[in-house]
Parts: sequence; C-alpha cells; structure tokens
Amino acid sequence: MKKFFALLKVSVKSMLLSSTNSRGRSRKKAVSGAGAIVLIAILGLYLSGLYSFMLMQVLAPIHMEVLVFIFMGMGALMGGLLFTTFAVKGVVFGGKDNDLLLSMPVSSTMLMVSRVSAIYLENLLFSFFVLGPAGAVCAFMTQAGVGHSLLFWVRLLIAVFALPLLDTALSVLFGALVAFLSAKVSKGALGQNIVMAVYMVAVFWFAFNLNGMIEGLAANAMGVKESLSWAAPMLWMADGIMGDWGKLLLFALSCAVPFVLVVFGLGRVYRQAVTAFAARSARNDYKLSAQSASGQKKALLAKEAKRFFGTPMYLWNAGIGLIMLVAMGVAALVMQKDLRGFIAMIGGDFPVALVAAAVMGFCLSMTAIAAPSISLEGKYLWILREAPVGESALLWMKTGFQLLLSVPCTIVAGVCLAIALELSPVEGVALLLITLLFNGGHAVFGMLVGLAFPKLDAVNETVVVKQSLAVWLGMFVPMAMVGVCCLLYWLGGMITPWASLVLPVILLAVWMAVCALMLTKKGPAMLRAL
Amino acid sequence: MLRIEHYSKTYPGGKKAVDDLTLHVRPGEIYGFIGHNGAGKTTTLRAVAGVMDFTEGTIIIDGHDMKKDPVGAKRVTAFLPDNPDLYEFMKGIDYLNFIADLYDIPADQRTADIKKYADAFELTGNLGSAIGSYSHGMRQKLALISAFIRRPKLLILDEPFVGLDPSASHLMKGYLADLCRGGSAVFFSTHVLEVAEKLCHQIAIIKDGRLVKCGATDDLVGDSSLENVFLELEGDK
Repeated sequence: MKKFFALLKVSVKSMLLSSTNSRGRSRKKAVSGAGAIVLIAILGLYLSGLYSFMLMQVLAPIHMEVLVFIFMGMGALMGGLLFTTFAVKGVVFGGKDNDLLLSMPVSSTMLMVSRVSAIYLENLLFSFFVLGPAGAVCAFMTQAGVGHSLLFWVRLLIAVFALPLLDTALSVLFGALVAFLSAKVSKGALGQNIVMAVYMVAVFWFAFNLNGMIEGLAANAMGVKESLSWAAPMLWMADGIMGDWGKLLLFALSCAVPFVLVVFGLGRVYRQAVTAFAARSARNDYKLSAQSASGQKKALLAKEAKRFFGTPMYLWNAGIGLIMLVAMGVAALVMQKDLRGFIAMIGGDFPVALVAAAVMGFCLSMTAIAAPSISLEGKYLWILREAPVGESALLWMKTGFQLLLSVPCTIVAGVCLAIALELSPVEGVALLLITLLFNGGHAVFGMLVGLAFPKLDAVNETVVVKQSLAVWLGMFVPMAMVGVCCLLYWLGGMITPWASLVLPVILLAVWMAVCALMLTKKGPAMLRAL
Repeated sequence: MLRIEHYSKTYPGGKKAVDDLTLHVRPGEIYGFIGHNGAGKTTTLRAVAGVMDFTEGTIIIDGHDMKKDPVGAKRVTAFLPDNPDLYEFMKGIDYLNFIADLYDIPADQRTADIKKYADAFELTGNLGSAIGSYSHGMRQKLALISAFIRRPKLLILDEPFVGLDPSASHLMKGYLADLCRGGSAVFFSTHVLEVAEKLCHQIAIIKDGRLVKCGATDDLVGDSSLENVFLELEGDK
C-alpha cells in the first residue's frame, strides 16, 4: 500500500504542478496558479448552478426533481468523458516516466491503478462541480423537502464519489482504443482525429437531443424519465439521491464493477499494452528524390501546422472553439427562420449583435492554440533556439499561426450570423471588427501567458494542452474580457448609443496593442530566459 | 573562428557554472573540450550555440558577436546536443527540409547533401518514417546529417560519440576531418579521451567551471597520455 501511495503521489503531484506551474520556484506564479484554479472552480459552480436552477424551476413544482439529477449526472459523465478520454492516452499509457516506473519492483496493476487514480480525481472534480450545485439548488427549491435532510447530502456525496468511477472506466476503455489506433494505424494522428470526430458528432447529437428533451420537460416529465431507460445507472443515481437507498447501492455497484473490471483487467496486461502502444518501427523503404526549398517563415508555419494537425490532443482541445464557431455560424444560417422567430418571441430591445459577438467571443476564447505552443516545444526548444531566426520572429510566427486559423473562421461565422440575424450593415461590420480585434488580443495574450507560465518538462502533451496554467489563463482571461465588453456595452448605452460600440472597441484595441507591445519588447527576453 | 572571452555563467542562487573562460578556436581546428561531470562543458557549448543566454563575457563566431548579432552567429553554426530530441511528429526527411529551410539551403544542394550523408549513415530508407519511431542511434545520425547539410563554419558537438555504433563513429570522424580541411572548425566535448587525443588539434580541460589547461594536443600530452594528464589535473583538488 505504501508503494501505491508513493506512485499515486507522483501522478497527482505531476497533475497539480502542471496546473499551478509552481514547482516551488516562484510564489507569485504559485499564487497565480491557485487563483486560476479558484476562478475556474467558481465558473464551474456558477454554470452548473445556473443550469440546475433553470431545470429545477420547471421540475420542482411538478415534483420531478429527480430529472435534474439525471440530466446533471449525464452532463458530468459526458463532460468528464470529453475531458479525460484523450488524457488517458498520455497519462495512463504514454507517460515519459513509464520506462522508469515499469523497471521498479512494483506490480504493473498497481502502476495502472495509480495512473488511473489521477484520471479518477479529474473526473471527481467534474462530478463535484456538476452534482454539488444541483444538490444545493434542490435543497433550496424542492417542494417535497427532500433536500433538507442530512441523509440527502450523504446520498449525494456517495453519488459524487461513485459517478467518476464509471466515467473513468469508460474513458480508460476509449483511451486505450485511441492509443491502440494511433500505434497500429500508419497515419496514427489521422486515425485518432477520425475517432475524435465521430466522438464529437455523438456528443453533439446527444446534446441536441438532451436539449429537445428539456424543452418538453414540463409537459411530459414522466415520459421523459421513462424514455431514459437506456441510461439506467443515471436513473438509479437520481432515484438514489432522492431517497431510494437500494437504487443508490445499485448505482454505486454499476459504477464500481466496470471500474474494477477495466482497471484490474487492463492492469494485468498493462506492461504489454504500454509496449504495444509505444511500438512503432521505422520503415526502410524511402526513396530520396529531389527536394524543394521554401523560406524560413513558411517552414516555421508548416512546422506549427504539422504539430497542430498531427497531434489530436492539441487539435481537438485547442481547435474545438473554432469548430464550434463555424458550426454555430453555419447552423444559424441553415436555421435562420427559427432563430428569427425565437428573437421575435423574446421581443423588446434584445441586443442581437451583442449576443452574437459575445457567443463568438466565447468560442474564440476556447481556441488556445498559441498559449501552449511554447510548452509543447519542451525538449525540442533547443532546435528553435539554435536556428538563425530572431526570437521575436519565432514568437510572432506562433501567434500568427493561431490567427491564420482563427481569422478565417471568425469571418465565416460573422458573415453567416450577420445574414442569419438580419443585422444592418453597420452592425455586421461592427460585429466583424470587434471579433477580429478580439482575435488579435486573444492570440497575442495567449502567446504572452505561454511565455510567462511555461511547462517545458511536462511528462506528456496532455498535461500541457489540458492542464497547464498558460492554457487556463489563455482561455478564461479572454472570457472575462468578453464579460467586461458586455458591461461596457451596457454602460456605454446609458451615455449615448454609439458609446456602447466604441467603448468595447477601445478596450479590445488597447488590450491587443498592449499585449503586442509586451510581446515585441519583452517576449524575446522571456524566451531567452526559459 | 570562435573566440570566447572572459565568459562566465552564474545560475540563479549564485552557483558559478563557468568562471572567466577564455579560449580561441582557429579555422581548420578540431578543438576538444574535456572535464568531469558538471565541470561546465555543456553550459559552455550551449552558450556558444546560442541556446543558452549568458551575462558575462563575449562569444564571437566568425566575426559575429553572439550577444549583438545572434542570428548572424547561428547562421554559420551547427549544434548537436548530447541527447538530440528531434520533433517526433515529423518524418526524418521533413526534419531535414525544415532545418534546410531555416538555413536557406538551396534545393539542389540540400538534395545532394542529404543523399551523401544519409546514404553514408545508412539512413536514407528510414527518412520517410516518423522520427518518433527512430531508435536513439538513428536520431543521433539524423541530427548529425542535419548538422552536416548546413556546411557550418563552426560545428559544436556535445558528447557526439554517445549512442553511435562504431562504423557511424568512424564515419563521423572522417566527416569532421573533411569539414576542417574545408576551413571550418569543430568544437566538441567528450569523455572518450582516446578519441580526443587522436582527433583533436587542440584540447582544453575545464574543472569546476575554470579552464585549467589548454593547448595543442601534442604539447599538452607530451610523452604521457591524455588520460594521465586529465587524471593528474583531477587529482589537484
């Protein structure tokens, strides 16, 4: 057991250090890291609380609180899966310290369990942030008094701890499949990208269906519940939280049994799996032909593109915002009649352009391509440092790569939304101007935080792309900027109508200019100091 | 070709890795840099290659000051670290082209040089595979090829013989000699004293960050062996 806790400590410590970037070197950075985690926790609790509240408002009056826990449980399960499936390949099967740890006198099952525990803890956070607020909302809004007893909280706590077991079992299985495909398919990255694309389509399909179910909730709550029989464990969990101990036990077992089977089953073949997933032998049939030359800039951009599109973890985490942005624009264009009908139904002075800009800003915020790019260089950084390219040019090339992807997507989405929402030419231009300014500020800011909070010694890419402080700051600070812009729009509107547009534009222009100035002036020195 | 003047490197916390190092490498010379583990060899080589920043002293390569004109200095230099980590997501040929593009090497020249060195190191057939699938030795060879195709005026190598098979080592020694005959210089660190003794025109011995001896190999070794000289100096603590 002592050995297990030592291994677990290594896994968890690695995960925590990657998030806070402290490594005991800088108190300031550690505090910034902790601050970012608190910020994300508050955001998570807020979002979950908001959704729970909206659902409970509809369901509490008809005594169907149970559905809130079903939906929120599904949300936690899907969110956790989305977050951890691709982490499994890196954390469980692809750790750089695998050789070291596998050579130690510990069983491979124990090693597997310690690695999986880190994934479990990540899923546990999801479970806590989603189910916790749902419980709190239930305690305040329930009309059956079910949320007022201490036993309710005990049952909720059991569910919070049990749900991540199922999540972890599923993500380890999917993760093993992804690792297997990338090892066996000659174009591993392409195989992984296809799996991820199918997975994303399934998630979006599920989300749209869930949305449809929620729309008809009040009218047919019982029918909705019955239609969810395919998600039996979620029903057992919800019924269990609401007071049925038998179903809670059934739920706990339905989570624990798959977890034990997957972890111990794969644990028995962990060494073989790690070997098989890592084994890629070089082919010996290449025929050298005449090579072509290109310039430095093109070479650096092509390198960034190869890294981005050839690393599914990077592509699907940093590129998801752009996929959502374009999908949203195209969907708005296709469903423009419904959208206009919805806006007409809301009526009044609904700020259509503002909401469109805010949603686009939210999608763009998730596009953290520049933020992890320095950390992803990691052990390869010497190649760029040795190259006859100025530091400033290197940094701007990385920033430019994000813009190269995000600007066309922004223009496509902006034009689609402007047409779908029937914005006036002035509003349409303003929408594009604001979102393009946001693009610039976001990319340069991402590059700066990537330099300020590097994670060059990460054990795998997952840690950099999903858990590094630079990525979190590169996503959440721009999201906060979107909020501040909305506030300025509102405040400006109180002065004169044009001020509501000018104030956010000024803020974004200043943000971009300051970040660009800092990157040009301080960036090279920051890069040299790494 | 390389002038290091009063170079010092102090790490955060005050530890001096290298203290007031001065040495000159002339064109056509193979210059060996030896010392015990932690003596400051790698720190010096990384500073010379422009990979590591430094605060004290000057490093001038072919007339380019590494502080004032780092791009100019790097343009005539090639550096091979002790454990060359190369982009695993790239194919071998892509990596060579990437390096060739960064150094503006014309298409016909790069094709000819890649063929020459890849054939010699028996790596041509593997160039179409991802570097992630390469063995340590293959990566070492690829890094060497990427250095040779630059036709550098100064080649900096950190422990170049580690990981290479005997035939590749022999081949590399031949190419180093060729490079020097063409007027370039080689500055490398090694723990293999026999190789240093046979290969180098000049040798510098560094101990605890300070240069303790340097000069022509014959003068330095005299009737003894480099190993004896090194061990004697190591014993003078």
